[in-house]
Amino acid sequence: MPNITLSHVSKSYDSLAPAISDLDLVVRDGEFMCLLGPSGCGKSTTLRVIAGLENLSTGEIMIGGRVLDSRDQGIFVPPEQRGAGLVFQSYALWPHLTVERNVSFGLRLRKVPAEEREERVGFVMETLGIEQFRDRYPSQLSGGQQQRVALARMLVIEPDVLLLDEPLSNLDAKLRLKMRAELKRIHGEFGTTIVFVTHDQWEAMTLSTRIAVMNEGSLQQVGSPDEIYNSPANLFVAEFVGNPPINMVPVTAGHDMELSLTLGEYMVRSFPGVDNVGSLGLRPESIRLSVSKPSGNSRCLTSHATVAGILPTGGNWIVELDKGGSPLFVSTNVSPEFNVGEMVYFQVDHSRIHLFDLDGIRVSYEND
Amino acid sequence: MKEKSDLMPSQLAEHDKSTSSTGMSRSACLNYHFKVGWREPTAIIGALMVVLFAYLVIVPIVTLMHDAVEVQFGDARRAKSEVGAWTFYYLNRTLASPISQILFWEPLAHTLSVATGVILISLSIGVPLAWLLSRSDMYGRRWFATALIVPYMLPSWTFALAWRTLFRNRTVGGQQGWLENLGFTPPDWLAYGQVPITIILALHYAPFVILLFGNALRSFDSQLEESARILGAKSGTVAFQIIFPLLLPSLLSATILIFAKCIGEFGVNYLLGLPVDYNVLATSLYRSISSRQSGVAAVLAGAIMLIGIISLLVDARLVRESRRFVTVGGKGAMSRNSPLGFYRLLATVFAALVFLISVGIPLLVLVLSTVMKVPADFSVENFTLDYWIGRNLETVALRTGILLTPDLWMAAWNTLRIVGFASLCSGLLGLLVGYVVVRSRVRWISSFLRHVTFFPYLVPGIAFAVAYLSLFAVQRGPIPALYGTGLILILALTADQMPYSSRAGISAMMQLGKDPEEAAQMTGAGWLRRMTSIVIPIQKGALVTGTLLPFISGIKGLSLFVVLAVPTTDVLTTYSLRLIDNNYTQAANAVVLIIAAMAYFGTLAVQNVTKTNLADGLGG
Ligand SMILES: Nc1ncnc2c1ncn2[C@@H]1O[C@H](COP(=O)(O)OP(=O)(O)O)[C@@H](O)[C@H]1O
Ligand SMILES: [Mg+2]
Repeated sequence: MPNITLSHVSKSYDSLAPAISDLDLVVRDGEFMCLLGPSGCGKSTTLRVIAGLENLSTGEIMIGGRVLDSRDQGIFVPPEQRGAGLVFQSYALWPHLTVERNVSFGLRLRKVPAEEREERVGFVMETLGIEQFRDRYPSQLSGGQQQRVALARMLVIEPDVLLLDEPLSNLDAKLRLKMRAELKRIHGEFGTTIVFVTHDQWEAMTLSTRIAVMNEGSLQQVGSPDEIYNSPANLFVAEFVGNPPINMVPVTAGHDMELSLTLGEYMVRSFPGVDNVGSLGLRPESIRLSVSKPSGNSRCLTSHATVAGILPTGGNWIVELDKGGSPLFVSTNVSPEFNVGEMVYFQVDHSRIHLFDLDGIRVSYEND
Repeated sequence: MKEKSDLMPSQLAEHDKSTSSTGMSRSACLNYHFKVGWREPTAIIGALMVVLFAYLVIVPIVTLMHDAVEVQFGDARRAKSEVGAWTFYYLNRTLASPISQILFWEPLAHTLSVATGVILISLSIGVPLAWLLSRSDMYGRRWFATALIVPYMLPSWTFALAWRTLFRNRTVGGQQGWLENLGFTPPDWLAYGQVPITIILALHYAPFVILLFGNALRSFDSQLEESARILGAKSGTVAFQIIFPLLLPSLLSATILIFAKCIGEFGVNYLLGLPVDYNVLATSLYRSISSRQSGVAAVLAGAIMLIGIISLLVDARLVRESRRFVTVGGKGAMSRNSPLGFYRLLATVFAALVFLISVGIPLLVLVLSTVMKVPADFSVENFTLDYWIGRNLETVALRTGILLTPDLWMAAWNTLRIVGFASLCSGLLGLLVGYVVVRSRVRWISSFLRHVTFFPYLVPGIAFAVAYLSLFAVQRGPIPALYGTGLILILALTADQMPYSSRAGISAMMQLGKDPEEAAQMTGAGWLRRMTSIVIPIQKGALVTGTLLPFISGIKGLSLFVVLAVPTTDVLTTYSLRLIDNNYTQAANAVVLIIAAMAYFGTLAVQNVTKTNLADGLGG
């Protein structure tokens, strides 16, 4: 089974700023890869160039060593010959065909014998729980049902690669959760390589084997959900992933805020070799709070601050600390035993502090 | 192509590494361009349609322009030059010679004064009616909303015929007019010329104002006027400072559209202007064609075209300007109906009166005229069905009732054949244009098609017909002379209807979007399969509308046919005109009634089938 390889891929529409630029990405066989990024960052465009619905401006796309699109080599393989399936955000079901006809369309096209066709269509519809709608028209289905028909329509032709463009974004929260689980199951069951587009970090985290974070048309980081979360490659990734968002504290020489100073000092002390640091990132959930002074630890940053606010979020609490004028958000799942205005101690493990240089690139340091 | 793409990567990749010659990469680039842009029939169809419409729209107009400045056959002596030489003779003759007064300036003045009158009257009838229909509690609003639009569904010269039937005097031959028979002889100014032309066209175009202005009123947010009231503004202030400026664009738009239509109006002017030599540009053009002055005709047609183009460009400009206002009346705009109180009955009477004058009486007169032997004699023995189904009548020719005349059925068959085929063509082409415009990867093709198919909209039908005449009157290259054939009518009609059908096609395709087709592409469907299994079945409805609407406007069309049809290709409209010319008043009226009925019921049917209302299909 093939890898999808995008090398130096750029695409501009109408001489505007490129929708994607210089993208290098390898989607491995059998992988569930999420393209994650804010809307308008070029995720759909990336899917569409892989599918062949758009051609490249520069660069090259290969699936399993077969070049599909390369201007330099004069090659462009049309979408219908690429062996990829694409599920549209709008589902794009054919309104004039019944569910069964929609799903069987690809097989009829391939002149699959009726018996086998029936069997495959039946299997996919059953797997997706839509067999009872087989004679309905798309307009008679709910959003979730339509979404499953759209998925079934592509799954039934057993594509090498399945491309999904925000397939869950039109569903309500509950259905979304259910479909997420279903997608994961389908991925396991069919073993297809999946490229999944979403702007929902939570969706990306729960579903994918690897995530590619994009912003303004370029790739920011590719890695497992864990890597993305725990070692963001740059400021953008750090700030885009995580909810509540990461606390970013500028570390500039002579900065007048107390937290900044504290951290700055701390850094100088703890990471002697590291300079050129522009900012520090502290995830709200990696900060521990305590009323009494915790025992000192050389592998921890320990300080104190005033509680500026407590926001219960149903089982969790977001505590806003005020450290000499700069806010610091902490997320905790233990009920706070302090009130607004009181002083608390906070502690962050050395290894949970993210350092970024003046250009916003992650600074790695030893010892973590 | 598939094999190629399987083969090429490895070979070419090697090449690229070893030699990076620019020649190689240019050919690769071309190859790529070809595969992306031209690999599908979309681009080829697009290119074919570019050629087709260049030929159907641009070439005739260029030929026409050319005819205006080139010595025509038979004019060599007068133009003091050889046939085919470049000349100012026609421009000079039409615009600056002693005869130019009769050829151009007087008709121009008549055209402008008729248009002005038409605009004034139709606005003063249409604006109050639009308001009553959309913002008041007048009785029977729903009924009137349809009834008052009827004049627009019927050919305008239906009413000219009714007028002639009523007011005709001895200036023209044939049957007497009703009034004359009742003892009152209408003077010429009332029977023919500017007055009746203006009144009839005004009544015909008032529905335009009702529709356009009514739409603007309905989308107008009454919260705007209410907030002004709350701020303490008086009604007059509200009307002039808030409502009027916001509604002005729609009024101006209606005005200009009426103006543009008046410029090209032929039938009414022909029926009511000719007897007293009252010429407008369209009839002057017709005369110069009839007298085979094709050079002069070309200049006149060019002038009409120019006026049409300018006024519609002005309109486009205004519409663009008025977009700024559109946001003002938001979607949820609530329009409240004003109670009329005491005036409620009066308003209803006014609307009923307009209906009577513009629809009721004319149609009744026409119907009665076809079943009465002597005009305006209401005794029982005067009524007869002879003019419809009689045999062995005592007339010189046309000795059977109209329904038994083979010529009628011939004309009806021609109408069906020619208009039907042209409508089918334009409906299909419209959809194809829509498809190419939305899907083509070659950008200039889509933008060219969009513009070229819209262009005939700017050209009044009679000028367009003259352009066709000048292109197809003689053999040009491999294309034989088409004048006198049904084909020239089909071509001209198709091109003339393209603005509507291509707009319908483009909007249908836009609405469909490319997703359904791309989804089929992703399941592996090639172009032909996508067209036959996905695109065309989904667009069935749009195709039906795109065919029926042009069909309806085609069967009542006159100005194209009057220039291009010959007796063997007579359609119902030109047939009735011939009957009028030969003074078979009853028969002519009967034919016009048949056309009117077809247009009316056709429109209703389309509205029912497509669940649209005429205001959308009107399209200006
Ligand atoms: N067909 C198109 N023509 C012109 N610009 C486009 C087209 N499709 C997308 N874009 C532009 O490309 C950028 C990326 O779009 P897209 O890939 O759809 O983003 P995403 O899916 O991440 O929201 C956007 O700025 C968008 O406006
Ligand atoms: Mg998108």
